[in-house]
Amino acid sequence: MLYRETGQFKISYAADQSVFPIAQDRWFVSLIIVIAIFVIPVLASEYLLQAVMIPLLIFSLAAIGLNLLVGYAGQLSLGTGGFMAVGAYMTYKLTTAFPDINIIIVFLLAGLIAAFVGLIFGIPSLRIKGFYLAVATLASQFFLLWMFNKVAWFYNYNSSGTITAPPREMFGVVITGPMASAETRYLVTLFIVIIFAFIAKNLVRGRLGRSWMAVRDMDIAAEIIGIRPFQTKLIAFAVSSFYCGLAGAMMVFLWLGSAETEAFSINESFNVLFMIIIGGLGSILGSFLGATFIVGLPIFLTNAPQLVGLSMPIDMQKHIEIMMFGSLIIFFLIVEPHGLARLLQILKEKLRLWPFPY
Amino acid sequence: MIEAESAPIQGEHKEVLLDIAEVSLAFGGVQALSDVSFDIYKGEIRAIIGPNGAGKSSMLNVINGFYHPQKGTIKYKEEVRKKMSPHKAASQGISRTFQNIALFKGMTTLDNIMTGRILKMRRGLLWQALYWGPARNEEIINREIAEQVIDFLEIEAIRKTPVGKLPYGLQKRVELGRALAAKPDLLLLDEPMAGMNVEEKEDMCRFIIDVNEEFGTTIALIEHDMGVVMDLSDRVVVLNYGRKIADGTPDQVRANQGVIDAYLGVSHSN
Repeated sequence: MLYRETGQFKISYAADQSVFPIAQDRWFVSLIIVIAIFVIPVLASEYLLQAVMIPLLIFSLAAIGLNLLVGYAGQLSLGTGGFMAVGAYMTYKLTTAFPDINIIIVFLLAGLIAAFVGLIFGIPSLRIKGFYLAVATLASQFFLLWMFNKVAWFYNYNSSGTITAPPREMFGVVITGPMASAETRYLVTLFIVIIFAFIAKNLVRGRLGRSWMAVRDMDIAAEIIGIRPFQTKLIAFAVSSFYCGLAGAMMVFLWLGSAETEAFSINESFNVLFMIIIGGLGSILGSFLGATFIVGLPIFLTNAPQLVGLSMPIDMQKHIEIMMFGSLIIFFLIVEPHGLARLLQILKEKLRLWPFPY
Repeated sequence: MIEAESAPIQGEHKEVLLDIAEVSLAFGGVQALSDVSFDIYKGEIRAIIGPNGAGKSSMLNVINGFYHPQKGTIKYKEEVRKKMSPHKAASQGISRTFQNIALFKGMTTLDNIMTGRILKMRRGLLWQALYWGPARNEEIINREIAEQVIDFLEIEAIRKTPVGKLPYGLQKRVELGRALAAKPDLLLLDEPMAGMNVEEKEDMCRFIIDVNEEFGTTIALIEHDMGVVMDLSDRVVVLNYGRKIADGTPDQVRANQGVIDAYLGVSHSN
């Protein structure tokens, strides 16, 4: 009854091609954005912002990036952590070398450098596909981290080997470094993620997105239509790495404050890959759902026993948390192998007919 | 072959769109095509027939640049071409459908047909990222052309359905739509009616004739249904074991002893 598109007639192609053609979706997303901007920073505690909201948004961005590559262009990659590290280390180098440049511009520049690195590591995709490509992208993961560890120039020769976010201002407000408040960092992250989520959506619904999906679904037919598969795959690697690099930069500068290469280990690559598998391959919304699931669930499981008044030893609680996490992932993959985004789509289709399904 | 060496259509002089001269193609020791020559006139429906394994699909693959023949010349639009990539062939106005449906299964009908317009869309990455101004106009202009194709093929109802969910006959139709969306000069159809029932075949025949008559598109098609081939095509070329055994109007080909032998087998007793 509530969710129904009856009577919403499109009279132009522009209206039919809009991101949210159904009015209810439009309202719902607008509502979420308004809540995220105006309500959450006011009501949420420091802990909630720092431990849940900021990482959730940053990982959503990384997941969108990987989803463009894996979900849309069909090129399996395990190099996410490496590309995130490029973004983070390049931001550090750039902002310490040129402290006057606005940090947001530095983020974007670092993203571009990550895009270039991604482009180079995407070259093997010309010849190898599927799991073999995944193994080839592992090289980028290990090589890049090794390089950032080994070459002291990347962390300005400091003795600890870590990169630390220096304080940077925008419009007179400190947005990075230890002095920046969680609210400011949250809002900056939120704006960047909203903008780049829409950009990703624009890319996938236009010519580029269709070329990516064409190469993914049937590369020979794509070639015969006139798509250059190699070029298309390389653009996918570049755009994806840009997103990952941006997410990596934000991870250090807007969330952690300082980091070593450990923060971008292979575990992160797998984490982001799990996010898009659980959230839904080939879906921007799915990237958000997957990131929410992977980031949010452990936190929820940690806090759940206290909420219901259960007290148990901390190690036991940790074990139960890991077991629950694993079984929930398996449960969701069995119930809906196409991810949470598909589940939501099925729900929406049911809702459209409800309460008269015939 | 004896009497029907590239018989011209009576009465009018036709412009040659594609001229294939002594093309040979081999995969290792397997000779797929040997010294095949024929031409395709602008605006005609040209059928390529032959028993299984005769080299028909290889011939189409040569025409759209997917295979590179070891020998022979191909002249397209008055221009002799050397090694050609499928991308180049597509940008010169050759598009095709496949024997086994080669649609993009995860995409909707509309998106599949829109991929046919990809070569006509030029806006760069940044415009597309904004989806605004020129990039948006370009999407809308090409959407209109895609919608004309959808309208022509009468597939409005499945516009937003993922093609993987469609029945076989409709998938074949969507694939034709994708090829048509590029507004080709030369349309290659590889068994457009394979596996269809009579009604679907009739629909498909109607579409092929309409494409040819309304848009003036030159069509080269491979088909096994002889009734369809003889009714549709202006001229027929017959291949067997990679060699051309006959070429001419449907009537000439039907009467050709070599063709009858190739299809029915030759009795060696006499």
